[in-house]
Amino acid sequence: MSLRVTDLIASADAATRDTAIDSWCAGRSVAQLLADCVELDTYRRRETNLYQRVRALFFLTAIHRYHLPARSDLPRLGRVPYEGFRHLLERRFEEAIAVFAAAQAAHGPSETLSSALASAHHALAFQTLADQVRRTVRSTRGNAWMFRLGHPLDQPLRVRPELLARENATAPFPLLRELTPVRMDLTHCGWSDIFFLGMDFPEGARVLNISVNLGVHGRDAAPRPPVEAYFRVIDEPVIRLASVDLEATATLTSLDDVFDFGRDYLGLLKAAVIAAGLVPPGIERSGASLAELLATIFGPGRGFELVSNVNRIPKGSRLAVSTNLLGALIGVCMRATGQIRALSGPNDETERRIVAARAILGEWIGGSGGGWQDSGGLWPGIKLIEGAPALPGDPEHGISRGRLLPRHTLLGRDRISAEARQKLSDSLVLVHGGMAQNVGPILEMATEKYLLRCEPELTARRRAVATLDDILALLSAGDIRGLGRALTENFFGPLQTMIPWVSNRYTEQLIARTREAFGEDFWGFWMLGGMSGGGMGFIFAPHRRAEAQSRLLEIMLATKRELQASLPFAMDPVVYDFAINEHGSVAALLTGADALLPVEFYQLTVPALLRREARDLTPRERADVAQFTKTARTAPAFTAALPTLLDRLLPTSSETSRTTHTLDTLLAQNGFDRAQHEQIRTDLRAGRIGLAMNRLAPSTRIEDVPSSDLFNLSSSDGRSPLAGDRSASRTPQRPPAGSYREAGAAALVRGECAVLTYAAGVGSRWTQGAGVVKALHPFAKFSGQHRSFADVHLAKSRHTAALHGADVPHIFSTSNLTHAPIEAYLRAHFSSALDHTVFLSPGRSIGLRLVPAVRDLVFAWEETAQQKLDEQKEKMRDSVRAALTNWARTVGEGADYTDNLPGQCLHPVGHWFEIPNLLKNGTLSHLLAARPQLRTLLVHNIDTLGATLDPALVGWFQASNATLGWEVIPRRIEDHGGGLARVDGRVRLVEGLALPRESDEFNLTYYNTNTCWIDIDRLLALFGLTRAELADADRTAAAVRAMAARVPTYVTLKDVKKRWGHGQEDVYPVAQFEKLWGDMTGLAECANVFAAVPRARGQQLKDQAQLDSWARDRSAAAIEALCKW
Amino acid sequence: MPIRKALITAANPRQRTLPLQTLMDQNGDPKSALQIVLEEAAGAGIEEFCVVVCPGDKTAYAEACGALRPRVRFIAQPTARGYGHAILCGREFVGDQPFLHLVGDHLHVAQGTTSCARQLIDIAVSENASVSAVQPTRESQLTSYGAIGGKLIGGDHPLYQIDTVLEKPTPTAAEQQLIVPGLRAGFYLCFFGLHVLGPDLFAILDEQHAAAPDQSLGLSPALHALAARRRYLAFSIAGRRYDIGAPYGLLNAQLALSLSGRDRDRVLTQLVELLSVRADTP
Repeated sequence: MSLRVTDLIASADAATRDTAIDSWCAGRSVAQLLADCVELDTYRRRETNLYQRVRALFFLTAIHRYHLPARSDLPRLGRVPYEGFRHLLERRFEEAIAVFAAAQAAHGPSETLSSALASAHHALAFQTLADQVRRTVRSTRGNAWMFRLGHPLDQPLRVRPELLARENATAPFPLLRELTPVRMDLTHCGWSDIFFLGMDFPEGARVLNISVNLGVHGRDAAPRPPVEAYFRVIDEPVIRLASVDLEATATLTSLDDVFDFGRDYLGLLKAAVIAAGLVPPGIERSGASLAELLATIFGPGRGFELVSNVNRIPKGSRLAVSTNLLGALIGVCMRATGQIRALSGPNDETERRIVAARAILGEWIGGSGGGWQDSGGLWPGIKLIEGAPALPGDPEHGISRGRLLPRHTLLGRDRISAEARQKLSDSLVLVHGGMAQNVGPILEMATEKYLLRCEPELTARRRAVATLDDILALLSAGDIRGLGRALTENFFGPLQTMIPWVSNRYTEQLIARTREAFGEDFWGFWMLGGMSGGGMGFIFAPHRRAEAQSRLLEIMLATKRELQASLPFAMDPVVYDFAINEHGSVAALLTGADALLPVEFYQLTVPALLRREARDLTPRERADVAQFTKTARTAPAFTAALPTLLDRLLPTSSETSRTTHTLDTLLAQNGFDRAQHEQIRTDLRAGRIGLAMNRLAPSTRIEDVPSSDLFNLSSSDGRSPLAGDRSASRTPQRPPAGSYREAGAAALVRGECAVLTYAAGVGSRWTQGAGVVKALHPFAKFSGQHRSFADVHLAKSRHTAALHGADVPHIFSTSNLTHAPIEAYLRAHFSSALDHTVFLSPGRSIGLRLVPAVRDLVFAWEETAQQKLDEQKEKMRDSVRAALTNWARTVGEGADYTDNLPGQCLHPVGHWFEIPNLLKNGTLSHLLAARPQLRTLLVHNIDTLGATLDPALVGWFQASNATLGWEVIPRRIEDHGGGLARVDGRVRLVEGLALPRESDEFNLTYYNTNTCWIDIDRLLALFGLTRAELADADRTAAAVRAMAARVPTYVTLKDVKKRWGHGQEDVYPVAQFEKLWGDMTGLAECANVFAAVPRARGQQLKDQAQLDSWARDRSAAAIEALCKW
Repeated sequence: MPIRKALITAANPRQRTLPLQTLMDQNGDPKSALQIVLEEAAGAGIEEFCVVVCPGDKTAYAEACGALRPRVRFIAQPTARGYGHAILCGREFVGDQPFLHLVGDHLHVAQGTTSCARQLIDIAVSENASVSAVQPTRESQLTSYGAIGGKLIGGDHPLYQIDTVLEKPTPTAAEQQLIVPGLRAGFYLCFFGLHVLGPDLFAILDEQHAAAPDQSLGLSPALHALAARRRYLAFSIAGRRYDIGAPYGLLNAQLALSLSGRDRDRVLTQLVELLSVRADTP
């Protein structure tokens, strides 16, 4: 009997079930693949088993995303129905699929519709998985009651009487303290602790996890449990929260305050209060009084205070600090209310499990999430954590193969001897590399690849699972050298085979340099957590460990300095001291003089108390001040805190003035136009410019442009008739008799072409506002090494030059933010080419970001289509937005944005200026003087990796006699930002933000790649210049100013990161303005032609989450083929 | 085997006056709570009573016994060392027979004509086992009662085989350990203040007291141990218990007694009148 596609999911034969969808699709036609889709869709609607349904959804995603588009006979052009797109944004995935499928039935399949179907199925698959995990978390025994509780009188929790015992009515109540280690994992067997994986493949979900105490090497005297949570009853009917590390405190007086996560930095503490059942999730929006609820638990007029401290362990340590902090906070609250039996000492296994389940709940409530091993710090010592099959009676039974919560097996000294533990401690150097990363996309990739059973990932996963036994055996034997080798192999082998993006240039340089420095005494590298660059382990021969701690810090600092412009770093690297914690989470009840909060708590809170009149202080506040003062006389740590405390009483402004000074200098150096800036501010405040004003008039006629109006590179291979811009004033010439390709090749041989890459940007989307030079970001491996966008573009030009035997000048246009790092990089790596074939065109325009107008924030968040998030994340986002709106109002709409690093306050003013800059800064003049034969310039975005001097396009453009030639690609659903349209009869490019209605974009078949061909002489003529006149700076500047006045100015919002504390980051939306080169197509006297190019040439990499599919659909291989390294 | 003796605990120092409160019984006669408890037991065939009291309370309690006074013995619990210890004080009185145990601060109102104590004794006799009366109770009241986990035994009566007993569990512990299939979500079988227990309980209490002589001796841990050793049942009584020690407990108990007795209409009328005057007043 022949196999069906659904057999890959439902077959009783394991080998059939493990067949990769890629193997199945190989050799199948478009018709067969579409038939498979129908079968899979019917199957997933009928199937009750969650994971089989989800696999079918991922199969559908893969067929639409990878296999159909790879078929040459799949039509490329189609339209995504706007209605379906809106459904997608609103998370109505089934409805979106129905709309897209109906469009496919009506208009036939296309790459465009397949992209929409892939996107909808992908989102539905993850939504289905996430919903199931949440349902399971809610129905886990011990958690469910909190969702039923809706009134304060129903609250069944009562505070332990021991926490109410005090000497007299004005004395503070006793303090309950929970100390918790963090966890490190020796191996996670290919992210097998992702809930989805553990619940579908429990036998493959295995983690070796160690609880550790931590200290920062050179700063802390000794390692200690880094996570601390404190709880005490207070004589006020409120909840007081304080995070010592984030230097934040809050007093919650209503239930709404408790459920408002984004308002301040205390979301984690709020999630703990909720997940511990003190303010149960069921009571949200009940309208009940917080004081009444607290009275039920603590007695009338009482509340509680919860304080967290992670001892300045930086964020992103990959040691699950936040999950273990959440566990500690939940644990201390549960102890206080008798949900954990013992008021002091460790927890028993049942209690650890319920705290872990509550931590999962808390992460969901707070809109975050980790893996199931993350709360490992609650358990003592070394443990094996494994997925557990769901049995009858479990809430998961009949739904998933595995349970939500894994099984923890403590590995005592009989399994791993004291000697082996010591040996590990003697060899391991734990570090935080300082990089800030988002591990979320990695986890999604791992899930999807597992469910698709892709090769070679499946084989790698099996190897990773088996690796655990090897690692455990080596650890048990005390063979740390062997352990180092196995961990290194795991990193470079299975992990990178599964997800190449876990590594980066920084990590690999660290490894290489450490190996160089320590030779045979460097025993291995260990990736902690989901990806490398943050928390990492380096294993050394024990006699060199001490040396390695300092040397490694030097290596990390030096490497970070080299790469900090190209990779996102949140902080300087640190080396940790660590010790295995053999106790897990442990509590103590502190009374009398011992009831002390961390010294940093007093540093944070006492200055504000001292500023008030003594008579206004509450007894608790007075007692806190008295206790701090008393302790400061005897305890050195408290004595040492006094100067800092006094500093806080009188804050200095030196830092602010320093920042302002640097910013002013930068503005002055980069030709900041203050008059223009003030005009923009006035216009913004008056509402004359703004997001809503970017749009063309609603009466504008927007029509699609048929393919017959374009030159089609893929179908013609450069030999088809030219379809030019009918609206241009000049009728395009007929094509030459010979092929464009041959003509273009000849032009290349004559040296008539150059390339300009826009490199002024700092990758706002690429690194979520981290402010790195995108051109220098080593984003992927080519030919065995991580290469940056600049590397790839230069390698393509090198390849073109080699093919045609002529130099290809390559220019990078820079901005004040990118010029120095790019110049330094080119000087270091391409010194012989710099100023010979590689040139820099420095920016001559700069803008100062502004605090946005509230009306623009509202427009961006409410008037434009937004991706709806899942319920909890949506609540979080609403809360953050309310805080940001308040920020804009408080700081002042339209005020200069200066509260950040100077570089983060400035912005490039749009790529329109980059070509005029080439005229103004003398680069073009210099080039033309050295190469008078130069006549054509190819200009493209830094992330358009496929853009090359393709001879066919050179030939086409030169033959067109147009001033500008533009490349467009058939639209996919992810392509936003405008496209090719007939606007009131004229064919031109139009920006997405300028379209009168958002839906207009979905009627446009072609998306603008922003790759542009320029006829240098015609462009100069358009500006009213000649080659000779370029030498006249004033004349050139006047010409540019006159042209600039004719293209529109757009106001946009950009996200900017502000870094603070220990690896913490905030994202602010700021307003900036820009002019865009594509608007040149709107000028009547500018002759434009347009070409449709294949996706591999025109697609842009805007988001690092795209990288995996970019590699899978062989785009990466296509780019590699264009390069010469 | 007939059950002739009843052991009543009233030695909680914080609630020593509760059994002395006066209420109107179902016939509209003023009686102490203790007398109502004794009369319920007497109505179920109990002949001898023993009340465990705080030292010094005997006189006041004796006066509150009403006509049953001659059949009541008092034992003082020398120091407050827990509920289990109070039970242990009655060991000599009980001897080697099964006994009815009631708490002095709970009143019971049956749904039908058979009293709650009668229902329980009948079941205990027919099942020949220790049986505790239970009532499905909302999780918000878990802080006031001992609660059980177990499974329903088929048959004519709502009888459960107990496997776990926890004293005043948190809802977290209850959800994890007190699983009773068939019960509504958010409800647990909580004690009714009425038990028929065998004399073997005293041995368990002894053991637990010996294991931790300095700690307060609870009854629930002993009942939990009993469940592990013997056939120990829970019976969902057709009636309601009223904890007069709870906030407004005395009022509730009075209303329950009155609304199930002779003066039902009169009390209802007064309630309606009260509601009409006070309902919208904050």
